[in-house]
Amino acid sequence: MRHPTEGVLRRLIDEPAGVSDPDRRHVADCAQCLSALAATRADAVAVGAALQPAAGSDADVPAAWQRLNAALPTAAPAAAAFTPARPARGPRARGLLRRPAVAVAAAALVLAGAGTAAANDWLPIFRTEQIAPVSLTAADLVSLPDLSAYGDLEVSGEPDLREVPDAAAATSATGLDLPQVAFLPDGVVGRPEFQVGDQVSATFTYSAARAAQAASEAGETAPPSPPGLDGSQVRMVAGPGVAQVWSSSSGLPALVVGTAVAPTAFSSGVPFETLRDHLLSLPGIPAELAAQLRTFTADGATLPLPVPGDEVETSTADVGGVQATVLASRDQSMAAVVWVEDGVVTAVAGSLGTDELLSVARELR
Amino acid sequence: MKLIHPPTGAVATVRAVPVALPGATARRDESRERMTVRSVDAVRADLEEVFRRDYQPVVAVAARVLGSRDQAEDVAQEVFLSFSRSTVPAAEARGWLAVAAAHTALNLIRSGRRRASREETAFAAQHDVVSDVAETVVTREERSRVRAALALLPRKQAVALVLRHSGLSYAEVAAALDMSPGSVGTTVRRAESALREELTRHASSD
Repeated sequence: MRHPTEGVLRRLIDEPAGVSDPDRRHVADCAQCLSALAATRADAVAVGAALQPAAGSDADVPAAWQRLNAALPTAAPAAAAFTPARPARGPRARGLLRRPAVAVAAAALVLAGAGTAAANDWLPIFRTEQIAPVSLTAADLVSLPDLSAYGDLEVSGEPDLREVPDAAAATSATGLDLPQVAFLPDGVVGRPEFQVGDQVSATFTYSAARAAQAASEAGETAPPSPPGLDGSQVRMVAGPGVAQVWSSSSGLPALVVGTAVAPTAFSSGVPFETLRDHLLSLPGIPAELAAQLRTFTADGATLPLPVPGDEVETSTADVGGVQATVLASRDQSMAAVVWVEDGVVTAVAGSLGTDELLSVARELR
Repeated sequence: MKLIHPPTGAVATVRAVPVALPGATARRDESRERMTVRSVDAVRADLEEVFRRDYQPVVAVAARVLGSRDQAEDVAQEVFLSFSRSTVPAAEARGWLAVAAAHTALNLIRSGRRRASREETAFAAQHDVVSDVAETVVTREERSRVRAALALLPRKQAVALVLRHSGLSYAEVAAALDMSPGSVGTTVRRAESALREELTRHASSD
């Protein structure tokens, strides 16, 4: 019979009952195994002794419970001081910020194409290869119109965002290889939640009438639509994606590692530059932003990442030979590192410093 | 403002990958939403019961890594705060808490932010050399070397070792770390072997 493994020998020391009878009998009669067993036991005892904590009185559980209660955000009002300090912003302000940011993202996808698509079939006009931040001020965000003001945005694929139990399930749901986090930064504990979303696609149909109406509501006059533009379409596809989310003790995501197939846009045969330039000329889009968008769309591969310029600082850094965009909120509460490689967007974000996030990003496997 | 109501492509993409598109603003909103969702039943009903049952064992796990009960209690507080908002089934709570305590404590060591606590200093002053039941003599320096080496082990090995030495059974360690019970012995053995080498290496060079 072959010798039992070192794992079996180790268990024999702690839980002999967990080792099979044949293995136990073998060890008892095998000089080699007995010698290995003695060495294993010596190591276990030495390490156990070294790990023995300093002697002390037992923890005061009632006092510890009181301490925990004080730190729970939904405990008595007196505990409010212990909730993590967040920027003071009401729900309404959040809504205002959120919506235009989303609209900008949609607009950026629509506008980020370059080149002229003259064929009748859907043509790829934009494939994300890089990400660059576009700074916006909060005022820009609030005043920026929804894309829906200029036409119909129809979703033809739902993301069906859902939680799955583990990495294997996430991979099988999305076909994406999950980046493995080599080590968790200080303060991030436990296992992540895995959230997956399917591929989403949306089709934007430009409506000259709607654009004119939006302009008149804003007290301005829309420039006349170029011939043939009314009813033209752009289709956007993004995903699927996976997010690995580690929660912190405050309940906010301490660390999020997201991966998704990068957005791509297709045209149904519209002269795309015409649509882009026309949208950019519509009232409501700040001239500065329009100019930036034009710059970023020049190569048809750079996804503008709109960030509120007064809240977030951006910079770039190298992650495994790829240029990544680094975002850090000015209040130091959140940061993110985002990059694109081989058609996949990866983002590492959380309530951590940019140095810590970059370390995580660079050690992803 | 119709865009926000029906999910649009952009919204959907943003939600699928909370951080990929609109940057920090939307991500913060995501996190707030998550918190809001959970704050309805923010503190799980079984928190107190689990806390009273498992607080001491959780402190013990962290203390084994850190050597200090003061710091171990800080770690335990952090771990239970995470647990209070988690949806970990009560039946898996003990293993989850132990793993979280080990990780948090190992992170403390690894970050180098661990400080010598007053109890540890006092303890060391009184017992610079300590004998345990097996008459293994372990000096204070050896303890700190082993803890530093522990933090550098592959994380699974380190956590399995700490859990095992904190009294969890092989089956409990296996369940907590999603391993087969058969591989627990091997994992623990490798960790002990590496740490013993660390002890021996220094002993022979003294």
